[in-house]
Amino acid sequence: MVDLAHYAPLYAEGLLTALAMLILFAGLFMKSKSMMGYVSLVGLALSLFLVLTAKTGSIFFFDTVSVDPLSQFFKATFIVVSLLVVIASLSRYKESAGGDEFYALLLLATVGMMVVSSSIDLITLFVGFELASLSTYALAAFDKSRRNLEAAMKYFIFGSASSALMLFGFSLLYGMTGTTRISEIATTLTANLGPASLIALIFVIAGFAFKMALVPFHMWAPDTYEGAPSLVSALLAAGSKKMGFAAAFRVIFVAMVALRVEWYLAFAILAAITMTLGNIVAIWQNNVRRIFAYSSVAQAGYIAIAFVVVGAAGTLPNSAYVAQTGIAGGLLLILGHALMKTGAFIATAVVAYMVLREGKTDPDDISSYAGLSKRAPITAFCLLIFMFALAGIPPTAGYIGKFVLFGSAINAGLVWLAVLAIINSAISLYYYLRIIMYMYLRPATGPKIVEPKGYVAALVLTTIGVIWIGVNPQPFIDYAMQAAAVLLPH
Amino acid sequence: MISNAITLMIAVPLIGAVLCFAAKSQARIVALIASLVPLFISLQMYTGFDKTSKLMQFVESYNWVPSLGVKYTVGVDGIGMPLVLLSTIVSVLVVIYSWGEHDRANQFFALLLLNEVGVLGVFTSLDFFLFYIFWEIVLIPMFFLIGNWGGPRKSYAAIKFFIYTHIASLIMLLAIFGLYFTYRMPDGSRTFDMLTLIQATSDKVLFPPALINLIFAGLLFGFLVKMPAFPFHTWLPDAHVEAPTAGSVLLAALLLKMGGYGIFRVILPMLPNVDKMFVTVIAIIAVLSIVYGAFLALAQKDLKKMVAYSSVSHMGFVTLGAVAFTWLSIQGAMFQQFSHGLITCVLFMSAGTIQHTVGTRIIADLGGLADRMPKFAVLMLAGFMASLGLPGMSGFVAEFTVLAGSYATLPFYTLIVIFFSVAITAAYHLWSMQKVMFGPILPKFLDVHDAHTYEIASMTAFILLIILFGVQPALITDIMGTAAYQVMEPVKTLAQMGVI
Repeated sequence: MVDLAHYAPLYAEGLLTALAMLILFAGLFMKSKSMMGYVSLVGLALSLFLVLTAKTGSIFFFDTVSVDPLSQFFKATFIVVSLLVVIASLSRYKESAGGDEFYALLLLATVGMMVVSSSIDLITLFVGFELASLSTYALAAFDKSRRNLEAAMKYFIFGSASSALMLFGFSLLYGMTGTTRISEIATTLTANLGPASLIALIFVIAGFAFKMALVPFHMWAPDTYEGAPSLVSALLAAGSKKMGFAAAFRVIFVAMVALRVEWYLAFAILAAITMTLGNIVAIWQNNVRRIFAYSSVAQAGYIAIAFVVVGAAGTLPNSAYVAQTGIAGGLLLILGHALMKTGAFIATAVVAYMVLREGKTDPDDISSYAGLSKRAPITAFCLLIFMFALAGIPPTAGYIGKFVLFGSAINAGLVWLAVLAIINSAISLYYYLRIIMYMYLRPATGPKIVEPKGYVAALVLTTIGVIWIGVNPQPFIDYAMQAAAVLLPH
Repeated sequence: MISNAITLMIAVPLIGAVLCFAAKSQARIVALIASLVPLFISLQMYTGFDKTSKLMQFVESYNWVPSLGVKYTVGVDGIGMPLVLLSTIVSVLVVIYSWGEHDRANQFFALLLLNEVGVLGVFTSLDFFLFYIFWEIVLIPMFFLIGNWGGPRKSYAAIKFFIYTHIASLIMLLAIFGLYFTYRMPDGSRTFDMLTLIQATSDKVLFPPALINLIFAGLLFGFLVKMPAFPFHTWLPDAHVEAPTAGSVLLAALLLKMGGYGIFRVILPMLPNVDKMFVTVIAIIAVLSIVYGAFLALAQKDLKKMVAYSSVSHMGFVTLGAVAFTWLSIQGAMFQQFSHGLITCVLFMSAGTIQHTVGTRIIADLGGLADRMPKFAVLMLAGFMASLGLPGMSGFVAEFTVLAGSYATLPFYTLIVIFFSVAITAAYHLWSMQKVMFGPILPKFLDVHDAHTYEIASMTAFILLIILFGVQPALITDIMGTAAYQVMEPVKTLAQMGVI
């Protein structure tokens, strides 16, 4: 008899997997698809509760899956993103054919991301990665328009290439160390550092950098985020991309700790280039979803500062504290960015809904946002908050994340990087203000619309979350600090 | 006495702003009530203020983010109290002046109230984290005021204003990080407490010269941009010219004062601990702001732009008085902040009223308006006289005190100011006043009517206050005098610092 209670910390994953299967099966018989949405909603809410209350500190399945504060932090972030996307989808995928598959794929993608955040073994990590990736490839083409297909194709090809790179890196690590356990790789590599380890590092970083959309591995992101259905873009930018960080945190910080100096250097360059290029290119875009895509690239650059801080902290006297605040800052920004970007992409979905009803073809052009404050006041106000939050204006989640992260960079002696990040913040303000300007300072080009309830609910919840983290950051900082401690040697 | 006076004073306009957004028609009444309450509270605080105490008063302190050492700490001393009073007075009178605003009135008045929230927060915060939040929040209502109700180039002006001042804030934030990560409390924890951190900079071991100079420069930059001082003033004319009148008034009367407040609160106490070069640099910046600002004002064709540059010039006196570092000059500089806050309101209101009654602000196109706008002409004349420093009005007391006090330590700079700016200042005020208001009335202005009652009422209140504080400056300088002593407590003079 299997002792089910032993697996209590993993109930959330089990629940979501079962639910995905159930939805697929029930979809064969049931006409109403909105029912599936509500079922997914309840399932996700329940699993969020399970994740937040799960007992941490245990290891499962022959030392391959760990339930610790770090994994729970990422899982909670992913579930919140999926939850918001599902709420918004209630207004989108209700009658259309295949609505059941949408929710099933979404749940499976969530499970995949959750597996990644828990895995302490390279094979498990890879499997989780692929589960999430395959589900999102299908989601990216979900509306079956030409642009969907192009977006999904690009996403698939780049995604597969990055998986291949990552897997090659993993195979080298396995060859050198004879194990796939992350902690064992760390000890073996530290004892016996060969030249092949550098090659493994390069491949692993390249593989993860594709997922995280760090420059120069970012090319797929703008096309995919622009072409995929808006709600799927929300999931990709806010969820799937953060999965790259979840994986990279474990593999780079723990498994490859022996190569600290090397990845410190690599990420210093990647972070600096990524944020600068992302922000500068975003200025020239006229397509709002492309602006968000490049802003997302830039934010990945900020988050990558966490790697640099940990790398630089190694030699400092109070290295553990510096590294911990660096990772915590990265985690806070990941959480904040997940919320802000989900909200921003959901807002683009509202605009697309509004514009497409008028028979126009290009819903994401910035001119569609003219006078949005009058046409869709709630959406415009929420998007306004997200824009200020992304720019790092207090008191919002974006500000707290940047505050802790940039502060830790200063503390680690990386003044140049903090200054660069702050200059970038100022540059980014320009394109965020531009969107605000269109929404609030331009005359409306059409009548006021009734904003769909699902979208509004998701937007308002996200806005409350973004401001709540900004006003009451203490519990989130505590949570992030605990999560960060997992990655550091005790 | 009201308990939690400061929190209440900040919360009421915030709630008022939300109500204003919701209110469909009577937003202005909500705004008036929501700005009268803080005025009432600040008057209560003023009467209950211990003028001889150097300590923070009305302090409230609660833990906010303990793991980062962030506290919600607010309180006022002699530096903050006059500016709190100024903010509440100006906010009420601006709401009255804007009584006739009908274009999206609910948003307009809500933004005025939000602005009040921000500036009151800045003047009362005693925790850098909180201070920075309010410092940034102020930008948002002003961005929308300029962007929504502004002139033809409003988008450009709004974005330039936001980005320019935001960069300055970010650099200030970096400097704050420098303080935060260097200093530890005796129990090893970190703190954002402003007074503790500022006092800690006197520790030469903890803050070696290279570090403290860098931090100081960052903070100084943040404040000088806000003031604005030459050569960082270029955002100001654009913002002012495009902003609606109420926006310009708040910008000049309150937002610029945030820069000055930063100088008194942060820069001056740190001044003895940094390189002596800074005194010279700041003094040169001050003199250039005064003189160059005056010349620029003289060269303007647009009345409002002239007033905007006169702000640069007048705020230069604040910088000069502060850096001269004598008791008299610091007190004068603080009074100049207060006095300019009142006077500039009248000037911008004058420019605004002319714009919307006549339709233009170009000085050359105007003439003889006093003929049709007699009441308005009296008020505008009084404002201009106050601005050029007519004895009996607050501007004279302030600038005279600054110059008299500065002469003791920075005689060369003071003399430059006296020689090059006093006459020019009088010239642009008198010349523009004469051209706009007096002389034969131009035929096209024959059917112009006088300003609205609410505009007259608001401006009259300002003029009365200007005269009141001109005749009886001790009402507020008593408080400032104590604050000036407190600022100078660690080191008494520039001579002791080794500058002169």
